[in-house]
Amino acid sequence: MLSEAALSQRLSDLVGREHVVAGLEASPYAVDGKAPLAVVLPGSVEEVSATLAFASAEGLKVIPWGSGTKMAFGGIPERVDLVLVLSRLNRGVDHEPADMTATFQAGTLLKEAQAVLGRNGQFIALDPPYADRATLGGILATNSSGPRRLRYGASRDLVIAIRVVHANGIATKGGAKVVKNVTGYDMNKLYIGSLGTLAIIVEATFRLHPLPAVEKSYLAAFESVDVARKAVARILDSPLVPFAVELLNPEASHRVAEQAGPPWPKGRYGLAIAIGSVRPEAVDAQLETVRRLCREAGSPEGHLLDGQAHETFWLATRDFALGDGLQAVLKASVLLTKVAEAIRLGEEIAAKQCLALGVVSEAGSGIIRFYLAGDAASPERFQQAVAEAVSRLRAFAQEAEGSLVILKAPIEVKTRVDVWGLPAKALPFMQRPKLEFDPQRILNPGRFVGGT
Amino acid sequence: MMEAKERIAKELLGIVGEDGLVVDPGELRVYETDGLTVFKAMPEIVVLPRSAEQVAAVVKVCHREKIPFVARGAGTGLSGGALPVEGGVLIGMNRMNQILEIDYENQRAVVEPGMVNVWLTNALAPQGYYYSPDPASQTACSIGGNVAENSGGPRTPKYGVTTNHVLGLEVVLPNGETIKFGGKTLDPLGYDLTGVFVGSEGTFGIATKVTVRIMRKPEAVKTLMGVFDSIEDASNAVSGIVARGIIPVAIEMMDNNAIQAVEKGVAAGYPTDAVAVLLAEVDGPKDEVEALVDPIIEVFKENHVGEVRIAKDEDERLLLWKGRKAAFAAMGQISPEYYVQDSVIPRTKLPAIMKYIGELSEKYGLRVANVFHAGDGNLHPLVLYDSRNEGELQKAEQMGAEIIKACVDVGGSLTGEHGIGLEKRDFMPLMYNDDDLEAMRKVKKIFDPEGRLNPGKIFPTSKPGVQVGPAGQREMLDKVHGRT
Repeated sequence: MLSEAALSQRLSDLVGREHVVAGLEASPYAVDGKAPLAVVLPGSVEEVSATLAFASAEGLKVIPWGSGTKMAFGGIPERVDLVLVLSRLNRGVDHEPADMTATFQAGTLLKEAQAVLGRNGQFIALDPPYADRATLGGILATNSSGPRRLRYGASRDLVIAIRVVHANGIATKGGAKVVKNVTGYDMNKLYIGSLGTLAIIVEATFRLHPLPAVEKSYLAAFESVDVARKAVARILDSPLVPFAVELLNPEASHRVAEQAGPPWPKGRYGLAIAIGSVRPEAVDAQLETVRRLCREAGSPEGHLLDGQAHETFWLATRDFALGDGLQAVLKASVLLTKVAEAIRLGEEIAAKQCLALGVVSEAGSGIIRFYLAGDAASPERFQQAVAEAVSRLRAFAQEAEGSLVILKAPIEVKTRVDVWGLPAKALPFMQRPKLEFDPQRILNPGRFVGGT
Repeated sequence: MMEAKERIAKELLGIVGEDGLVVDPGELRVYETDGLTVFKAMPEIVVLPRSAEQVAAVVKVCHREKIPFVARGAGTGLSGGALPVEGGVLIGMNRMNQILEIDYENQRAVVEPGMVNVWLTNALAPQGYYYSPDPASQTACSIGGNVAENSGGPRTPKYGVTTNHVLGLEVVLPNGETIKFGGKTLDPLGYDLTGVFVGSEGTFGIATKVTVRIMRKPEAVKTLMGVFDSIEDASNAVSGIVARGIIPVAIEMMDNNAIQAVEKGVAAGYPTDAVAVLLAEVDGPKDEVEALVDPIIEVFKENHVGEVRIAKDEDERLLLWKGRKAAFAAMGQISPEYYVQDSVIPRTKLPAIMKYIGELSEKYGLRVANVFHAGDGNLHPLVLYDSRNEGELQKAEQMGAEIIKACVDVGGSLTGEHGIGLEKRDFMPLMYNDDDLEAMRKVKKIFDPEGRLNPGKIFPTSKPGVQVGPAGQREMLDKVHGRT
């Protein structure tokens, strides 16, 4: 093993001294409590290649890092030698508005990309959490998505070409910068959501969408989650084309509504339906139908969210967080017909375990985020409670043909219960991509499903 | 050798039964080619399984005996992807054609791979649902073939291609093991192997169950036809529509040769003196669709449209589409044969590429009919030829190759929906370097480490300078099989 000084020197030779952080200064880059020997910030694809080739030669484990918004995600890394930060790869590579495609380096912030594209009335139709801080590469590596996926799909539907650097330093591309392409295998799909365990994404090309000229939402209050879910079913089975259908439990509704403006009746579930269009009159007509369907389903009251209130509501929903205390976030994916039941189960567990619970669910996509919080004074109790919640909700989700993953939790929870919960029988095949692409286990070892 | 064949045939017979085994040379001939008929190869044995268990059992035999094998759906593919391996086994999936489950509440259906694409939409129609990807061959092609090719169709600008609608697969791997990827719910754990499998051209495994997204039919649909005096105006109109923030379901273009053929074939009512017609379709909630019609007409007018027709009712709409859907079949009206390319270009390059194709047409003395998905830049130039004329097929292929190269040069792709197959494998280096291809080979190894499934497809094999395109490929096949 190289000495710390020798390591810094070698890395400095590759990317420049000012782009290497070592020793104590590297401690903010700890992942699950494991601080790296050094942090390296390459400034080009070539420097990423050189860094990875070096790491491979030295057998150093590398943790890719965008802006660090989702570093709590994934299993506890086997070892953390180098943190490779992509923030200097933040350039727009090309953008042809008339083709509605754009290519950015992976360290580009989503927010910055949207600002550039917005000048032409276009955007990347992704609205993941922490959209103001998250990098494109991080969003793709974690397959992070938000409410808009109901209409636009997720990263797998929006990325048309990708450039990656492999563990051995070789850079390759997949896909093409055109919106339709079946030349060779669809490599984009392999890297999206692979949590940087196969290769590091350094560049991606997106198909773009026109920004809706007008967007508004209707937020209805429901007495029970089952009634709200019935309204969701009615809306999905109607000719309406909402871009988001979000179901929030009373705790989450209260917190989000408070930020967006409307007063929130105690104990009510919130169902928010967002509509966008190039034409204002088309939005209003659809919202009127939404209001009617919600009323018929049993929600007498609701609010129209417009302008700033609409923006604030959706921002607060995407970046939802409970206040103080110990925190954990779980994400379940279940059948649409099982969403209400899953939420009820979460509530039952939270009540029993004395946890605060906020639920934010993309009810039209079957995605449910459980935000759990507990008393900071009794961490042991919190860890146990979260582990219990994970086990029970995971068992339910698997019954509902889905899954449950931990998005964020204290390390002690991760040591008690698997972050991913991949069934054992699926594991052998799921390990094969890693064996082919990173047999040395250089990239993010231990953080992905089944310890891959 | 013969002895081994008899033994294996007997074992396969035990798996699929008498009516599921084809060994008679006359009957085997049905399977010697797919939709790209210039390639032919006789399989040794064809099996027609009726269940996933039978598929797995057949594959296990092939694996044990180290026999190469190929799966085939309806055989409508246009790149030789389902071409059998001589001396190998062909597994015909068309008897596994059931819709296993329709789950409206969860917006999913589970189907067998041999099910014909349009059957699903037909089954869903009474409930107001449909399955979106609709390749032109949808009344014949199978969903398993669609999965293999990641098929598109006209509706892709708004709703995407097969991969956007396939959420889960049950697959028999080349070693006979059965495995599940994804399912009815979103974001399945681990690597997106469903996404990787779709579009793998039958080289990764044999899908035995396919879980797809089904969608609610839109409240309203409007189809408009614009008649243009120049390809450039029509191309600019396509960009103009998109620039207005409108994403039509489809924007299709046909040039004069295509119109001539269509009118002789099915009389869809296109003006035969038009240089180009555009078909644009928008769908969605009624108010939105109504609001989109005027801006599209405005864009047409800005680009010097001659005539605009708006389908007044469903009959008129179907008539407008009838011409487009029947275009390939109608080519027989104006040419004995055609050779179709499938390259994709950035939409902004449309006028330049169309001009270049016109120049190539003059250079080679071959007519070209263009009928294509203008909305996503997916060209379908049909090079018209007559193989009875000495050297004309070769010329058509040469011209096809030049079109492909020009498309890649402007940042495009070799193929948008037809696949690489055997036909375009030696064009692969135009788009991907050795490292890119090596990464793809690694993916192949994940699924098929011994390379027994659908060998010889996708990856380039020839040395630089060898003639590419079907003629060159055929020469190579002939050499391999000792026919020269």
